[in-house]
Amino acid sequence: MFLILKDYGLNAPFNKKYSNKLLYGSFKTDFCLVTERMEEGSETAVVVKNLVKRFGAFTAVDGISFEINKGEVFGLIGPNGAGKTTTLRIISTLLPPTSGEVRVFGNDILRDADKIRRIISYLAEEAGTYRNISGKEYLSIIARIYFDSEEASKAVEEAIEFSGLGDRINDKMKTYSKGMKRRIQIARVLMTKPKLAILDEPTAGLDVFHAQYIRNIIKKYAENGGTVILSSHNMLEVEYLCSRVALMHQGHIVIQDKPQAIKNRLNASNLEEAFVKVVAS
Amino acid sequence: MRKIIPLIEKEVKDLLRDPRIYIGLIIPVIMLPLLGSIMSTAVSTSIQTSMVVLKIAVIDADKTRLSKEFLNLLKNTDMSVYEIDGTDLNSAINWMRELGLEFLIVVEKGFEEDLNNFRVANIRVYAIIYSVGLGSIGKYNAFQTQLQNYIKIFSDMLIYRLNPNVNAETIRKPLNFTFHSILKNNVVKINPQTFLSQFLMGYSIIVPMILFILSISVVQMAATATAVENEEKTLETLLTLPVSRYEILVAKLLGSSIISVIGGVLFTMGFLIYFESMLKMPGMDISTSFYQVLPPIHLESFLLLGISIMLSIFFITSLGVVIGALSSDVRMANSLLGFVIIPIMVPFFLILYGDPKVMPLAIKLVIYAFPTSYPTLIAREMIINPIPVEAIFGIPYSIVITTVILYVTSLIMSPEKLLTLQHKLRARTVGKEKRQ
Repeated sequence: MFLILKDYGLNAPFNKKYSNKLLYGSFKTDFCLVTERMEEGSETAVVVKNLVKRFGAFTAVDGISFEINKGEVFGLIGPNGAGKTTTLRIISTLLPPTSGEVRVFGNDILRDADKIRRIISYLAEEAGTYRNISGKEYLSIIARIYFDSEEASKAVEEAIEFSGLGDRINDKMKTYSKGMKRRIQIARVLMTKPKLAILDEPTAGLDVFHAQYIRNIIKKYAENGGTVILSSHNMLEVEYLCSRVALMHQGHIVIQDKPQAIKNRLNASNLEEAFVKVVAS
Repeated sequence: MRKIIPLIEKEVKDLLRDPRIYIGLIIPVIMLPLLGSIMSTAVSTSIQTSMVVLKIAVIDADKTRLSKEFLNLLKNTDMSVYEIDGTDLNSAINWMRELGLEFLIVVEKGFEEDLNNFRVANIRVYAIIYSVGLGSIGKYNAFQTQLQNYIKIFSDMLIYRLNPNVNAETIRKPLNFTFHSILKNNVVKINPQTFLSQFLMGYSIIVPMILFILSISVVQMAATATAVENEEKTLETLLTLPVSRYEILVAKLLGSSIISVIGGVLFTMGFLIYFESMLKMPGMDISTSFYQVLPPIHLESFLLLGISIMLSIFFITSLGVVIGALSSDVRMANSLLGFVIIPIMVPFFLILYGDPKVMPLAIKLVIYAFPTSYPTLIAREMIINPIPVEAIFGIPYSIVITTVILYVTSLIMSPEKLLTLQHKLRARTVGKEKRQ
């Protein structure tokens, strides 16, 4: 038996029925040719479907589903412990899901983790820096992992500009303030020109000036066609940055839509108020 | 490989610029030669000073012609001799303390009579210990040598009295043994006892000692460098880069090993300078010509020693990386290090104080299980025997075991597994602390 799959995407009816059998090899064919993956060329950057993550008896993420389109800034918002970081860690290949499906540009999070790491860039909430390396050296080390030397130098120059650190870029990172460390990390994330930037609380703990600087960089990146998923418990920030948001509470997505649509639906003046209303209801 | 190089660069720069590391590297090069030179100078100065002004008190309880001759003999040396009247020991010692005299020689009554009847004459010697420095040891050694000279002079005298035509040396030492040691297939004119003691002081202690100190610093450095990634929250970023876990660990291994080799070279330099200064100290005259008469060591042996040292460093570093990876912070890594340092020590001491060839199979297996044993084994055997075949097999074995350790660590190096393992280890450590 020969099987030729032209549409292997998640949205394809065939795939919905047989994808698991194909993945686990129980579909008996003599030859299987996958000619095209729908998501590669589609507008969907990330697909999360019925995602569950348990740590022992504790369920951090409980059956959430959402999709992110290319060029979109998608926000996960909610209080601490809502499951935002766990979701981002799963998308960034750091944690395996307990069940459910996650695809990044058509690549399965478990099977194609290596491929995914090549096209994403992740900023952890408490991402640290190397104490004895300068900001410029750090950017150069990361750039050389992604690019050849000529491209790497160009990327580093651009990243230095993103960071706005001026001459301080040559100082050891142990001398940087928290805001400066965050700026160098954002520069590192965007320098690699990821197809998907995953930002966990990008402005947490920063003063107004540093936070605004970082928001502007993210905004500019998205305007140039970059796809971003970020988490925050600063709902005003999310409202400013994101084209769509998902409100998370205790591992569930309680509502997801455009910020304005959510506010209209819940008759709230801002997302914070909307969140309180939806959780209370 | 292209992706590993920037990671190795990161490791080397981050480690080399860390004051805790570079100060640790520099200290042996400065401190050991300084220590050696201070000790050597202190001892030499102390001995020279005390030999010039060595003051001896003498009580002559015999007061005969021969006892007077003995006293004259003492007076004709470089020492200042003070004769004490009376025979009360306590008052003599008090008097000596007032004058700062260090030695008291008491010629007992019957001295001449014993000698004339060819019996052993008794002389009591008292030394007041004013200090316990190394200089004192040299001084007392020098004084002992002087006393041996007096014995020789008196025996010459007695033999001459018996028969003026006889060579006193022949009577004293009628048999002359010339010792030879057979090393490999070479006959070397060295007393085996001298060889063994000097060999022990040289190769078989220096090499293991350097390796031992190096191993401890390497394992600590690798563990700290890896644990810091957890502590400073840089590991998460590292694990999302397009490099495999195995490459991350290999970069850590190579980065830490480069620093270790630099550290090893600096430590060896410092230690050799220190050792050389120690050899120059009076009473510690291990001649360098000792090594010149030894059979030549083939280049292949040195090469094998070098390779086994490198593999030993890689092995130790891989253990440090594992410990660091399993630790949530540097403190936890340091407490886990004890589990690694102990197994490193066991084969070191087994080889140092025993002969693996005659050990039971179980102990031999323990020794051969650790790649750290092979350099010690090679260093020990390369002079006296052909390199043992086990040591040669140890080379591929060391490579395999190090690779396996890194590979297994790369398999468990996912945040979820690490968090679980770290949690379990922390719980165990906290439980242990509570029980204590």
